[in-house]
Amino acid sequence: MDRLSSTFSALADPTRRAILARLALGETSVNELAEPFDMSLPAVSKHLKVLEGAGLITRGRNAQWRPCKLEAAPLKEAAGWIDFYRKFWEASFDRLDAYLERLQSAAAAPDKPKSVKGKGRQNGRK
Amino acid sequence: MAASDSATANTFTITRTFNAPRGVVWKAWTEREALEEWWGPKGCATEVEELDVSAGGIFHYSMGMPDGSKWWGIFHYEEIVKPVRIVFINSFSNESGDIIRAPFSGNWPKEIRNVVIFHEESGKTRLELRGQPINVSAEEQVMFESMFGSMSQGFGGTFDQLDSYLATQK
Repeated sequence: MDRLSSTFSALADPTRRAILARLALGETSVNELAEPFDMSLPAVSKHLKVLEGAGLITRGRNAQWRPCKLEAAPLKEAAGWIDFYRKFWEASFDRLDAYLERLQSAAAAPDKPKSVKGKGRQNGRK
Repeated sequence: MAASDSATANTFTITRTFNAPRGVVWKAWTEREALEEWWGPKGCATEVEELDVSAGGIFHYSMGMPDGSKWWGIFHYEEIVKPVRIVFINSFSNESGDIIRAPFSGNWPKEIRNVVIFHEESGKTRLELRGQPINVSAEEQVMFESMFGSMSQGFGGTFDQLDSYLATQK
C-alpha cells in the first residue's frame, strides 16, 4: 500500500478518526482511549495498529502503558485538501503514464517490424 | 491555516506531459476500459459503474481500496470539447451516485470543478488541470472544524483543539 492509500484507509474509519481527535488532547494509554467506545481492548489495539502503520500515531516504549501520541505531519497533509488532491492526481497520472506507455508499445509491437527502437518493452499486462 | 490563505489556497493546478498523441490521451479519459486502468491512486481497483462523457453526463465509479473498503465517486461533466477540453465536477458519492462528503475527511470540499486542457505538443500531450471547490462557504475552506465529521459521537468540540495542535506543528 502506498502512503496515500494507507492514509486514506486509516482515516476512512470513524473510530480511528475519533481516536485521533482524542490524541490531539495529549498522549494517553490504550485503556483510556478505549473508554468512550463500546469496544474491547484488542479491537482498539487493532485500530491503533492501522494508525501506527499509516504513520498517524506513535507508541511509547514505556512497557507499562505505551502511551499513544498523535503524529501531526501526515495528518496535516490530509487536512489540506489541495495537497491531498494533488497526490491523488499525481498517483493517477503515474498510472495514466504507465498505461499510455503500454498502449504505445502494444500498438508498435505486433506487425510493424520497423518499430524496433530499442524500447521494445514486452509488457504482458493488460 | 490562516484565512488569508484562502484565496490562493483555493485553487489546485497540476500539469503533466504524456508521451502519447492527444487523440490517445483523450481516449484514455473518455473510455471505460482506460479509466479503469488509471483513475485512482496506486493499489486501488477502479470499476466504472456508469460512463457518459457528454455535457450533463456522468462518470460514476467505485474504488476498491487495498484494505478492502470501497469508495464511490462521481464526475458530472459540464463541457466536452473533443479533443481539447473537459470540464467536470468531481465528488465522492454513494453507490447510487448521490454526492457525499469525503469518507476520510470532512475538510475535503464536496464538489470540485475541474478544467482539463489537452495541449498537443509534437506528438506528446501536455495536460493542464485546474480544480476549484464550488458551493463552499469561506469558513468551510479554512476551518478544520469538520475535518473529523463523524466525531460528534463522543468527542464533540475537539476539532478546535486538533486545529490548534496542528497549528503548533508548523
